[in-house]
Amino acid sequence: MSGDKITIIEQKEVPEGIKVVCGLPDVGLVGAIAVAHIISKLKLEELAHIETDLLPPIIILEEGLPRSPIRIFGNSDLAVLSSEIAIPSGIIHSVIRSIIEWAWRKKAEKVFTLGGLPVPNRHEIDKLRIFGAASDNLMIKTLTENDVEIIKRGFLVGPQALILKYCAEKKIPAVALLAEAFYNYPDPEASSVVIQAFNRIANMNIDVSELIEKGEEVRLAMRDMMRRTQTELAKMKKSHEYDIPGYYIR
Amino acid sequence: MSIRRRRRSIFDILREYMEELEELTDEMFERFMEHPSWDASEKSLEPLCDVIVKTDRVIVTADLPRADPENIRISGISDDLIEITAKMKMKVNFEDLGVTHRRGEFTCFSCRVPLPVPVDVSKAKARFRKGILEVILPRKKGYEIKVE
Repeated sequence: MSGDKITIIEQKEVPEGIKVVCGLPDVGLVGAIAVAHIISKLKLEELAHIETDLLPPIIILEEGLPRSPIRIFGNSDLAVLSSEIAIPSGIIHSVIRSIIEWAWRKKAEKVFTLGGLPVPNRHEIDKLRIFGAASDNLMIKTLTENDVEIIKRGFLVGPQALILKYCAEKKIPAVALLAEAFYNYPDPEASSVVIQAFNRIANMNIDVSELIEKGEEVRLAMRDMMRRTQTELAKMKKSHEYDIPGYYIR
Repeated sequence: MSIRRRRRSIFDILREYMEELEELTDEMFERFMEHPSWDASEKSLEPLCDVIVKTDRVIVTADLPRADPENIRISGISDDLIEITAKMKMKVNFEDLGVTHRRGEFTCFSCRVPLPVPVDVSKAKARFRKGILEVILPRKKGYEIKVE
């Protein structure tokens, strides 16, 4: 394998025309927690993994056996991308490009990316709002029809930004679903809000009650991933999302 | 044969200096990260913390899931360092977190939070909501300069 290559190895045949759901570590680990819950609730099996020399030399051990930290779980309808590690900011372009090219080869019906939108006063908010952005106008309409408020103008930084960009280039219908969330703390409540929006758009029925009930347990378990993710978010200049875009004439 | 060396502009020197500084900061940050977030001998977990500096106050927050609100202690070590300890409502052990090859249980959170500016700890206020501790510490007043 060449040093800078990223390959997606399928252990099981992934069918064409599936929905791809991405939940990579980002603010509040909203996407990472959401996809972990989806994988668990739907009892999805491991279909594929990412192989590359660009990642740090890390494996995840399961029952004593080595597994790639970035994997795709799924069934005949869904392929869910999950990562056990914060993706180093220096390789995020290459990783996302490879994943979207794979989704394009698989003729993905839609790509969903789940995540958080950081809000400074998050701990004072009881009812979290859900926002969205999309790769094309048709998907913007879909978001609006499903009660997702559109981020009309603003910056998006990190995995969500690149997923939308590469999906737009490849003309794959894609949406980013982003719930108001803590920047620095794992936020399972925000994850439940993005799953509910995903349920509406993808016509699914994933129960989120357990995610709320076990919120404290999830926050305890996700502390270390959050610490590592914070470092990568700072390198990506994630705080750019707070910035007000420059003046423009309508 | 003479070797002509391109003269470096002040901007080149500044850029190189900034790049070196950035690399050094990254290295220091990564070194700081390379310790466990738990201490089995003290039975404590290091909580995730955040510090925000405002014009008149410093806000420190800490994520304390499972913490008992009646057993949270905040102490001022100096005017730029505070210590947070919080007992948990119920202990957690490695196995609860899916780790079977380590032994140990945790009964509290504990950390020291360095503050970037001096504060008046005696006037600090704190509240605990949804498992998040928020400590508001007024900044020490400096000299006021009159505008003529």
